[in-house]
Amino acid sequence: MTYPLRDRCAIAGIGATEFSKKSGRSVLALGVEASLAAIADAGMTVDDIDGIVRCDLDSLQHNDLAHALGLPELNYWGAAGVGGGAPCGMVAQAAAAVLSGQAKSVLVFRALNGRSGQRYGHGAAVSAAVGGNGSYDEYFLPHGLLSPGQMYGLVAQRHMAEFGTTSEDFAHIAIACRDRANANPNAQMHDKTLTMDDYMAGRMISDPLRVFDFCQETDGACAVVVTTAERAKDGPNPAATIRAAVQSGMPDMQGGMLFPALMRPTLTTQPSASAAAKLYERAGLGPSDIDVAQIYDCFTITVLLQLEDYGFCAKGEGGSFASSGALQLDGSLPINTAGGNLSEGYIHGLNHVVEGVRQIRGTSTSQVPDAEVCLVTSGIPVSTSAMILTKA
Amino acid sequence: MTDITLPAPVADDHDTGGYFQAAQRGELAVLFCAKCDAALHLPGPYCSSCGSLDVEWRTVSPTGTIYTWTVVEHQLHPAFPVPYTVALVEIDDVPGVRLVTHLDGRPDVEIGTPMVAVFDDVREHTVLPRWVIRDA
Repeated sequence: MTYPLRDRCAIAGIGATEFSKKSGRSVLALGVEASLAAIADAGMTVDDIDGIVRCDLDSLQHNDLAHALGLPELNYWGAAGVGGGAPCGMVAQAAAAVLSGQAKSVLVFRALNGRSGQRYGHGAAVSAAVGGNGSYDEYFLPHGLLSPGQMYGLVAQRHMAEFGTTSEDFAHIAIACRDRANANPNAQMHDKTLTMDDYMAGRMISDPLRVFDFCQETDGACAVVVTTAERAKDGPNPAATIRAAVQSGMPDMQGGMLFPALMRPTLTTQPSASAAAKLYERAGLGPSDIDVAQIYDCFTITVLLQLEDYGFCAKGEGGSFASSGALQLDGSLPINTAGGNLSEGYIHGLNHVVEGVRQIRGTSTSQVPDAEVCLVTSGIPVSTSAMILTKA
Repeated sequence: MTDITLPAPVADDHDTGGYFQAAQRGELAVLFCAKCDAALHLPGPYCSSCGSLDVEWRTVSPTGTIYTWTVVEHQLHPAFPVPYTVALVEIDDVPGVRLVTHLDGRPDVEIGTPMVAVFDDVREHTVLPRWVIRDA
C-alpha cells in the first residue's frame, strides 16, 4: 500500500529569528517573530492558520502563542517529543492533522532561550536526592554522569573501540558543518573558521569528545507552516513537498536525562536505523536518491551514527565515510548546509527542517546544485523522527 | 567520595528501591522475573517477555567488566571535581545488565577491564554501589 501521506502535504512557509547567546527577549517574543515570518513566507495571514504543534521541551504553550498571534480560531493542537527527537515528527503530526481535516494549515514552532536561560547541555539540575518516579536518574547522577555530552562520550568511545573510528573522523563532521556556517550570515559561527589543527587543539570535554564535537546552545526560534500540497501552490515561494515522514523508536525507557539508552543491547545502532527503514519504504526512495541531508547533530558522533543508520555507508564505516570528503558541498552527501546544531545554532533540529526547505527552494547560502531530494533527521538516542522533502 | 554535597540517590522508589536496600546489606541486586527468570533492567514492575507481574530482587556476584568509559574534563557540578572517569560496567553474572560508576582521575582502563563493586555510605541510611578496578 502506498503511504497515505506521500506527497499530499507540504511546507509552505519558513521563518527564523536571529540566533544568539543572549536574545534579551522572552521565548514568546521569539516564537511570535519566527511564526509571523513563516506565515508571511507562506503568503498567508494569521487568519489562515488554525493549528499549532509544539515540542514537549518548550515552555511556550500552543494557546499562548495562538493568543499572541491573534489567531481567529484554534482547531488543532498537539505536541511531540522528546526534545531534539521531535521536529520531523512535529511536521508529520501537522500533516496528519491537515489531511484528516482537523485543521487547514498548521504552525510548527520551537522557541528557546537555550543559552541565556536553561542550558540543556548542563544536564540535570542536581539536588540533594536525585532520581525516582520513573526517571532512573538514581542509577546515573550519583556517579557523576550528568549530561548528554558525557553520555555521548561513552557512546563515542565504544564506537571507536568496536570499529576503529578516530578523532579525525569526528573532526571532519565538525569542519563540514563549520564550513557551511561560514557561508551563512545567520549562523552563530559565521565568522569563526575551523581547521583540523584547531579541532585537535580544542579543549577535551568528555574524552574522546572535544569542545568542537559539541553543538552551540542557542537563543532563538524557528517555525514552519504545513498545509496541503494543493494549498501550498498558492504561496509566493516554492513549497517543499513532504514525500514521507516517520516517527520511530525502540520501545525502551528514556526517562530522566535519557541515560537508560545506555542499557540497550548495542550503543552503536540507534533508533535512526528503524526510522530509516520505515522512511525509505514510505518514500519509495533509498539513500542513493538523497541529494542533500540535514542530519541532527547535537554532537559529531550523533551524525556519524546516523550516516550508518540511514544507509549511506555500512555499520562501522561512518568514520571513514566522514573522512572521505563525502560530507562537503562537492561530496556525495553534503550535510547541514546552514551549519547545523554544531555551527548554525541549536534550535534542537527545527533549524534543520527550515534549511531542508531552503535547499528544495534553491535558496540556501550553501546551495547544492539541482537538489531535489533532501533528507532531514531529528535527534537520538531518544525515539526519533525523520522526513524526506522533495520539489513540488 | 565522602563529600557531603555529593548527590544521593532517591533510594525508596517503588520500582528501584530494592537495589538500594540490597546495597545497605552490602549486596548487589538485579530485578528478575520470578516466572521466566528474565533480568528486568532497568527494573520495572512487569515482565513483557512472559507476561508476569511476579518480579523479585536477586543477589548477583558483584563482579563485572568495563563496557565503555569517558574521562570527564569539564566540570558541571562541584561535587564532581574533574578529571574523573565515568565507566559503564557490565555484570559478569547477568550479561547485558550494565551499571555506571565514578572513578577518580584518569585511571588506566579499557573495554574488558575487570571491576568489583564496593558499597559506600553516601548519607545515613543510603548506600551507593560503585565499582573499582579488580586486581587480577
